[in-house]
Formats: sequence, structure tokens, C-alpha cells
Amino acid sequence: MKLKTFCTEHESFILGTGFIVILLALWESVPLWYTLPKGMALFFTTPSKVAAAFQQLLINGEIEKHFYVSAIAFLAGLGLSIVVGLPLGLLMGRSQTLEALLDPYVTSFNASPRIVWLPLMILWFGIGIWSKIVIVFAGAVFPLLINTYAGVKNVNRVLVNVVRSFGANEWQLMKVVVLPNSLPYIIAGLRLAIGRAILGVVVGEFFGSSQGLGYMIASAATNYKVDVVFVGVAIFMALSVILTLAVKQLESRLASWRPETAKTF
Amino acid sequence: MNAKDYYTEHRRLVLGVFSVIFLVAAWELLLTYVFPVNPFFFTKPSLIAEAFKEQVQGAKLWHDLAISSRAFLWGFSFAVIVGIPLGLVMGWRRRVEYALDPFLTAMYASPLVALAPLLIIVFGVGVLGKAALVFLLSVFPFVFNVFAGVKSTDALLINVIRSFGGTDKDLYFKVILPSTMPYLIAGARLAIGRGLVGIIVGEFYAASEGIGFAISQAGDTYRLPDMFVGIIILSVIAVVLTEAMRRLELTVAPWRAGEEVR
Repeated sequence: MKLKTFCTEHESFILGTGFIVILLALWESVPLWYTLPKGMALFFTTPSKVAAAFQQLLINGEIEKHFYVSAIAFLAGLGLSIVVGLPLGLLMGRSQTLEALLDPYVTSFNASPRIVWLPLMILWFGIGIWSKIVIVFAGAVFPLLINTYAGVKNVNRVLVNVVRSFGANEWQLMKVVVLPNSLPYIIAGLRLAIGRAILGVVVGEFFGSSQGLGYMIASAATNYKVDVVFVGVAIFMALSVILTLAVKQLESRLASWRPETAKTF
Repeated sequence: MNAKDYYTEHRRLVLGVFSVIFLVAAWELLLTYVFPVNPFFFTKPSLIAEAFKEQVQGAKLWHDLAISSRAFLWGFSFAVIVGIPLGLVMGWRRRVEYALDPFLTAMYASPLVALAPLLIIVFGVGVLGKAALVFLLSVFPFVFNVFAGVKSTDALLINVIRSFGGTDKDLYFKVILPSTMPYLIAGARLAIGRGLVGIIVGEFYAASEGIGFAISQAGDTYRLPDMFVGIIILSVIAVVLTEAMRRLELTVAPWRAGEEVR
């Protein structure tokens, strides 16, 4: 009986992890019940082989080396997009003229895949960290900017008028009303920006790099080292999931008191 | 006086058009009179316009576009065919939701584009590899948006249909489908963006034709005007498709435009 109540209480957890475990077990057992044709066997790997490759790459320091390169590009690009996107979003939210002037660019860049600029960035900045940082920046800046802007636009007019009536200047208004009220939006923007930034790192390293996890994946694929490809993919997956969950946690903590949900684009 | 009235009424439009014209003019003038253009590293609007005219009249651009859109359509259609039923089942059956949600969420959150080299190598540089990539990237927005749409269906409406003896068919077509529609369109909008990334990355990585390949080849051979033509065409397509979806969203469900599930 006790087992049964435990099962019903934790049903979602059991089913969720159970599904993943079964999927991995099925994948692992494929070679046991099906002999792959020669051509396919070259592209096939099992979770245990991926784990073994992961351990080996960890021991010989390969992962650490590539990870640092990717992490620096990620942090620099994301940092730059925060430094640019946040103030610009605030200004666009407060000034209608600036909004009208910049809107065509923001809308069209946001709607189009920034990855198309990669060959040009490689041409301009060469193969290496700079072209990556720029492409990460280009991916991450728009969600941040647009969400900050939406947050500012959504600030309660009454609050703004009250603070104004008590003689606050624009700077104080920003600090006391606008920024705190748009924080949930900014965090939602940050969550999207993280996803875009990781995408930028991956693709940037496929083409414009000789180091980094993305490069590790691309070069392993060309050498048919499928297990190494999956090691790289798994690392990116884990990082994205962890970072997204962390920001979501922050989001729900900040947004717990507000009834409406933050707009995300 | 009339001009002033017009300005106050269409201020946004006037300023927007002005800023675009200003930028293009400044770009052209600066590179014509102030800095001499180094054609290998920079280009200017007049040269891009020339290349544009040439490419539109030629056959290669249209061929590339056709190649890319074919792969895109294949991948996207499969994403629709697989994603919508999956989302429906997940939204309707609690146990299926419990089982699939962690796995699919992890897949959705992760940059699946990292699988691009593997997919291209396994499925080849033709339509199949790119279509597989597009499918993988664009299926999850459909799944999660349809899922959220079903979840958001008003339980009261379901009970009403049931009480009045409605069949399952009525339930699906009169309640669940209409309330899922706006979510579905929002999902399609996201999926288009992600699918385009898939096409571009796939063609950058390895291809012999296609618009992404044309862009990267122009970059490799320092033909900057051609490269800009490709970039501009692709961006315009993306903007038009996304904007069309947004309009559709506004007509179908004006009350929740711009909102997204995850």
C-alpha cells in the first residue's frame, strides 16, 4: 500500500525519469538485437561508448581546454549584449523618438536569423574569438533589448506620475519605478538570450574557430568519431538545461507577486 | 500645416523611414567620399543594388532559393505532422505528459543545432540532411505550443459539451481546436525562425547549392555585394514569414498576441 501511495505521489517524476531511462536502455541495446549494416555502423554509437569517451576526454584535459574557450566567448558575448541591450531597451522604452528611429532595425534583425551574418563576421574579424563574440552578441542582444523595452512600456503610468509629481528627475524615475518594474521582463529576456548565445557559440565554433566545444563536435563529426560528437552535444544540452532552469527559478521568484506573465518574444 | 498634421499622425512611420534612408545614405556617402572602399572587406549600397539586380535576373539565385525551400518545406511539414499530434496527446493525457515532458523540455532547451555536422554526414549534403535538421529544430515549438493550447482549454466548455451529449468529435473540433489555434500559430512562428537557422547552418556546413551555401561561398571568395544580397534576401524572407504569422495570430486571437509559452 505504501508503495502505491508513493507511486501516485511521485507519478510525474517516476514517469519522466522512467521514460528517459527506457529510452537510453533501448538505445544501448540496439546492437544486441539488430546488426547494423556496415555503412550505418560507422555512424552508430551507444550511451556507454559516449560515457567512456566523455571520461577519456575529461582525463586528458580535452574537454577542459575546449570548455574554457567556449565559456569565454559565451560570457563575453552575453556580457556585451547585456551592457548594450539593457540601456538601449530602457532608452527606447522611455523615448518615443528613439523608439521610432530604431524600431525598423530591431524588428527586422530580431525576426531574421542572425546566423546568416557569420560568414561576414569571419571575414571581418577572422577565425577566432572575436567573430564568435560578435555572433553571440548579435543573437543575445535582441531578446534582452526587446524584453527590457516591453518591461518599461508596461510600467504603471500612475506610479510614474506619482514619482514625477514629487519632483523626481528622469534618473530617479528610472531607479525607483522603471527598473524594478521591468526586472521580471529583463530576466525573461535573459533566459531567451542565454539560449541564443549558446546557439551562437555552437555555430560560431563550427565555422569560425579552431578551438572550443563546437569545434570539437565539428571535427569529431568529420572524423566519424560519433561518440565524441555526442559528448559535445550532451555537454551543451546539460549547460543549456541548467542555465535555463536557474534563470527560470529566478524568474518565478521575482514574478511570484505579479499576476500577468512577462511577454517574451 | 498639412505636412505638420501628417507628421504628428504618422510620427513613427516618418521617423522609421527617415532613419533607414539616413543610414543607407550615410553608408553610401561615407564609403564614396570619405573612406575609399576596399572591395574585399567592405561594400556599399550602390554596389549591393547592382549585384542584386544582376542576381535577380540570373538563374542561380532562384535555383538556390528553390533548393533551400524544398529542404525547408520537407522538414517543416514533418515537424507539423509529428509535433501537433504529440502536443495534443501530451495535453490530453496526463500520464503521457508526465512521461514526455522532462525529455522533450531538455531537448527543446538544448542547442540541437550542435547535431548538424552529424546529421549532414549521416544523411548527406542533399535535401535529406537539411530536412532532418529543420525537422529537429522546428518540431519542439509545435509540440509545446499545442500542448499549452490544449492545457489552456476552458474546462467549463468541455463540461458543457459533455453535458449536452457532445461526442468526442465535437469536443475536439468545437472546443479544443479553436482554443489551441492561437498557440499553434505562435508555435509556427517560432518554428519558422528555428527552421531557417537549420537550413542556414546545414548549408554553411556542407552543401553544393542553396541560399546558405551561396552566402558562405560569396564570403569565401570575397564577393561582398553578392553576400549582402543573399543575407538581405534571407532576412526579408524571414521577416515576411514571421510577420505574416504575427498578423494571423492577431486575427485569430487578438487578446494574446505576442505571448509565448516557453
